Amino acid sequence: MAQTTPTPTLQVRPAYVLGGNRIPFARAGGPYVRASNQDMLTAAIDGLVARYGLQGERIGEVAAGAVLKHSKDFNLTREAVLGSALSAETPAYDVQQACATGLETVVSLSNKIRLGQLESAIAGGVDSTSDAPIAVSNRLRRALLDLSRAKTVGQKLAAVSKIRPKDLAPSAPNTGEPRTHLSMGEHQALTTAQWEISQAAQDEVALASHQRLAAAYDSGFFDDLVTPFRSLTRDANLRADSSLEKLAKLKPAFGLGLDTPATMTAGNSTPLSDGASTVLLGSAEWAAEHDLVPLASVVDAEAGAVDFVHSDDGLLMAPAFAVPRLLARNGLTLDDLDYVEIHEAFAATVLTTLAAWESEEFGRTRLGLDGAFGTVDRAKLNVHGSSLAAGHPFAATGGRIIATISKELHRRKAESGSDRPVRALVSVCAAGGLGLTAILEAA
Amino acid sequence: MTATVVLPEVPSLGGLYARGAGLSLARRVRPGPTTLPDVDYVVRGVRASAEHLTGYQHLLGESASDALPAGFVHVLAFPVATALMVRPDFPLPLVGLVHLANRVTQLRPLALDDVLDVRATSADLRPHRSGTQVDLVTEVSADGAVAWRGVSTYLARGVHLAGSVDEPSASFVPPTPTGRWKLDGDVGRRYAAVSGDRNPIHLSALSAKALGFPRAIAHGMYTASRALADVGAQRGDAFEWSAEFVKPVLLPGTVTVRVARAADGFTFAGWDARSGKPHLTGSVTPLR
Repeated sequence: MAQTTPTPTLQVRPAYVLGGNRIPFARAGGPYVRASNQDMLTAAIDGLVARYGLQGERIGEVAAGAVLKHSKDFNLTREAVLGSALSAETPAYDVQQACATGLETVVSLSNKIRLGQLESAIAGGVDSTSDAPIAVSNRLRRALLDLSRAKTVGQKLAAVSKIRPKDLAPSAPNTGEPRTHLSMGEHQALTTAQWEISQAAQDEVALASHQRLAAAYDSGFFDDLVTPFRSLTRDANLRADSSLEKLAKLKPAFGLGLDTPATMTAGNSTPLSDGASTVLLGSAEWAAEHDLVPLASVVDAEAGAVDFVHSDDGLLMAPAFAVPRLLARNGLTLDDLDYVEIHEAFAATVLTTLAAWESEEFGRTRLGLDGAFGTVDRAKLNVHGSSLAAGHPFAATGGRIIATISKELHRRKAESGSDRPVRALVSVCAAGGLGLTAILEAA
Repeated sequence: MTATVVLPEVPSLGGLYARGAGLSLARRVRPGPTTLPDVDYVVRGVRASAEHLTGYQHLLGESASDALPAGFVHVLAFPVATALMVRPDFPLPLVGLVHLANRVTQLRPLALDDVLDVRATSADLRPHRSGTQVDLVTEVSADGAVAWRGVSTYLARGVHLAGSVDEPSASFVPPTPTGRWKLDGDVGRRYAAVSGDRNPIHLSALSAKALGFPRAIAHGMYTASRALADVGAQRGDAFEWSAEFVKPVLLPGTVTVRVARAADGFTFAGWDARSGKPHLTGSVTPLR
């Protein structure tokens, strides 16, 4: 019989969310129109520094990212750190996982803290659709690269002669999936039709998002989470006076070519946005040394992906698979959660995910369960509003959700005064059929 | 006994088209033979170039690996079959031939460094409701064993041979799409550049009009190869890939597509979302 060496037990300790800071999210072409990703990320970091007294502090590591990123921003996060009030000896790295970027920075940094590699960290994300990179066409780029490598006049002329007038047209980024060339909205429209989600149901989700976000602002909930920027004090997309009547009047924007009714409008879809968010993470020891109160621990996370290219599942349905795996690994069910945060890429994304979990057939055939995965109590869902109201600067959304729900978890736990764990599930869908989900527990 | 014509290299399609055009003109005056020539065309020692392969892979959306996409092997080998089609004793005129269907069996993957032998022949001259159809069969071998076999079915409209046909055209109901191909006006010229197939119907609206099309049309093999690329790596190393070309894609144009898992592999379809009419249908079935 083979000898086995006992594996040393890995010592892990909790990693805590200690706070967060973001700038209000603006609509594309709005007050942040000339602000770059680096500008906004630096502003969000500096707001966090000011809020938690971190001037000149050497933080263990800063991780952030942007979905729409200029090639010159290869070290975006490090450059933002160098421009911030943090110690210039604070290391940094960039992350890119489409709309899951912000949550992934929280997950990977908190894992480093759990392993003892870091004592403190700042997670973040930023995106600007107003200052998006414009690229030259592939043909022009190839010709210019050939030109730069050409040594003789003949070679140079040959390179230049390959350029055609139409090659000079710039190519702007879009939300189209590279493999299907359908936009994210068109993909969601297919899933929306598949799960037969009505416009009325989507409008209800959108209205609740606006009402809850407005109420949170009114109650002062965001006073220590949001720092004004460029004269903006609240998320520009927020419509506190929205109503089902107003939402119902909007014309469908996606799913127009399908043989089912088009139900997705500008009102129940997220707008293109600009903004940045940050989350302060740390060990219990580091928090104590800095007089900071842990809000919530990052318990576990699970990523998922679906094959939307070959029609197995809808583009944004990966969390529907990742969450059941995540909860099973932690011995939890939907009923054990006090809060459920499902990123509102579209109102229909939330509703198709919930519908899949409520479906007996989906539970049996796609999740391998005995029946339906379960039902989410709507009172627990996106309690302070989500992306439909706040806007969705892609990589900044994860940080917004984590900071918001961590504060809420801590508030609830303190209010209850009991030892019962207070938990939140966070779920973010992303381009490429990706999804990232995490469990947080009140500290 | 089957004769074998060994060509020193893969001929250029441009020269073959010119010869084919002359013969097609002559055919109008004097009818041609009514049987296929009993002959194989062979080219040995064919090698792909990395630049050619990369250009093809980038245009069609294939990963730029050293494996030759099945559609790229078609591009390398098919001119050998075309050489056979411009023989004076080939019964159908090259000009105006319509590519009806294509079926490729890839038995094992071919790679950039493989030295390929190509053998082409014609088979199964048979009636079609609007003319006469024929199969061009091309086999590509490496190390003495066949790795790839392509059967390209062509139709000569208005050329009627004896025999009857019974082919009801299947009705097409557009399925739920999975994607879309937005084809620029220069897609025909770009595929012509990687395939060598510079048939004027693909190159410009003007040249296509001269041959009876309202605008330039996409190469059928371009659309079939896009579908194969959409299936992606899950097709495996050995598979059968078949496509039927129903209605030409006018350029520029948008093709709504569905590429989806089926019982024994993948099926695909491309259609016009406005009219609901199909451009192509087909399948990719892994061989086990």
